[in-house]
Amino acid sequence: MALDLVSTPTRDPDSPRHPLVQTYQWELEKLSAQFRTRAAVVVALLGPLLFGVGLSVSSNVPADTLFGRWVGDSGYAIPLVVLGFAGSWGFPLLTCLVAGDIFSAEDHYGTWTSILTRSISRRGVFTGKVLAAATYAVVVLVLLTLSSLATGVLLVGHQSLIGLSGNVVSPGPAAGLVLASWAVALPGVLVSASLGVVLSVLSRNSLAGIVGPTVAGLVFQLLLLVPGLGPVRAVLPNASFIAWHGLWADPTFTGPVLTATLADLVYVAVFLGVAWWSFHRRDIAAS
Amino acid sequence: MTASPALSAERLSKRYGSRTAVDAVSLQLTRGAIHGLLGPNGAGKTTMLRMLLGLVRPDAGTVQVDGAVLGQDVPRGRRGVAGFVDAPSFYPYLTASRNLELLSAWDGAASHARVEELLDLVGLAGRAQSKVRGFSTGMRQRLGLAAALISDPAVIIVDEPTSGLDPAGVRDVHALLLAMAASGRTVLLSSHDLDEVERLCTDVTVLRHGSVVYSGGIQALRAQTGRRMWRLQTSDNDQALLLDHPHVVIEPGAGGALQVAASQSDFDDLLLALAARRVVVRELSREELSFETLYFQLTGDSLPSAAEEPAWP
Repeated sequence: MALDLVSTPTRDPDSPRHPLVQTYQWELEKLSAQFRTRAAVVVALLGPLLFGVGLSVSSNVPADTLFGRWVGDSGYAIPLVVLGFAGSWGFPLLTCLVAGDIFSAEDHYGTWTSILTRSISRRGVFTGKVLAAATYAVVVLVLLTLSSLATGVLLVGHQSLIGLSGNVVSPGPAAGLVLASWAVALPGVLVSASLGVVLSVLSRNSLAGIVGPTVAGLVFQLLLLVPGLGPVRAVLPNASFIAWHGLWADPTFTGPVLTATLADLVYVAVFLGVAWWSFHRRDIAAS
Repeated sequence: MTASPALSAERLSKRYGSRTAVDAVSLQLTRGAIHGLLGPNGAGKTTMLRMLLGLVRPDAGTVQVDGAVLGQDVPRGRRGVAGFVDAPSFYPYLTASRNLELLSAWDGAASHARVEELLDLVGLAGRAQSKVRGFSTGMRQRLGLAAALISDPAVIIVDEPTSGLDPAGVRDVHALLLAMAASGRTVLLSSHDLDEVERLCTDVTVLRHGSVVYSGGIQALRAQTGRRMWRLQTSDNDQALLLDHPHVVIEPGAGGALQVAASQSDFDDLLLALAARRVVVRELSREELSFETLYFQLTGDSLPSAAEEPAWP
């Protein structure tokens, strides 16, 4: 061990960034260095492709799912079928692989004592982690969107699609509506990520943070099927995963999209608020 | 004029449920000194360190650095306080270098060159690109020291910094801590190694059951106790051991001698009592009370006597 005392540290001239920006970038680097994150990205990329290949070699179509009967007739049906599946359990599982682990991983590795004694505030650490989890969730959504759209167009083609009112949607508008449908699901994806974050903070256990939202997603899916819930259905956390249906009707109706989006914003605010309250007050009493 | 302390804690308290972990503990760290924090397990040392590092929210009390009161939400690193408590932990899937760069980013004030410099300082330059999951306990300790030094803190808090190190590593860490103090930095060292504390520290704070039982210089502690240690060889040690004096501790010592801890006047009484029983003192020598003895007196534990030391079969 050399014994010359250290010199005064200086800011790296190549990275004059705000600590919060650096925290955010480091969270992304930590995520990209983990096998689980890479595996989830691969699933988001290849999952729709494998699904499409499976449909093309099968004589059956998923006729009991929305747009499932059209998967052999229009390439735009496949991304909508994938969206239907993703809404029930895929989004919660894929997003919470990161969001449900991003805080509890520090408990697992015992690294809170290293992080929270630095110069950045708890608010900065919290914000950086939440932004990284949200970024990952958006990336997964975009990859699933592009992958499923590309799979449909490459394997089936660029045909018109029959809408939910029996209306024919020509290829160009159909492509736009597919992208819009996936975009409508974004607030729901962020709700799943926020639920993962709050469970990760409260439980300090990655399994709870990952499995909890996935189970909750399935429960909410079942609630959507319960008759008599009326307006409550429109504000369930997964309402945005079905709100896009109105975009494919003629005439289109966007009220459910607006309602679900507003409800999801409230859910995100509540989940993140609870997570922040707990994280902010937490005593790091044991590694 | 007395220089203001580098770090001052006033009546810090922390309860966990019904248990009081730290009870109104005050601490002042003299600038440029190494201050020892001692106490048996469960005395409240770790909770104290965590409160000073901002990891645990005190129920009462304040922490000041350079005269400025720190709220719980003020990152300690930003105020020049850094260190580690328990064994330092890192991301096992990142290299030593990347781990330090990450922590540097959170300090917002370091460069890659600085990380290399620190790794060299703690003797890990050759393992900079190795993932931490393969590091031994001693290597993690070294990396922990490097991490604590990233922002060049004015006050560095270290918990058992030589745990897991080989003798050469211990020597190097001791030299590093002494060099830091010599350069004006302040060190708070928590350790169970009493020899280490006696060798490095000028001042100590001893905790017991969450309260301070002594805070001050080691030499002042020796003077304050007023007790001395004698080594006696008598004609009848068994009878000497039967003597019952409220302020004298007589225990069997090494080599068949007796070890006596007492004030001068109490020791005089003891000699008279021995003479009255016709017990002859054949050898007598006075010894300096060891720091270990002082520590055990403060914490209420007794030194294991030679007779109680376990023998190998």
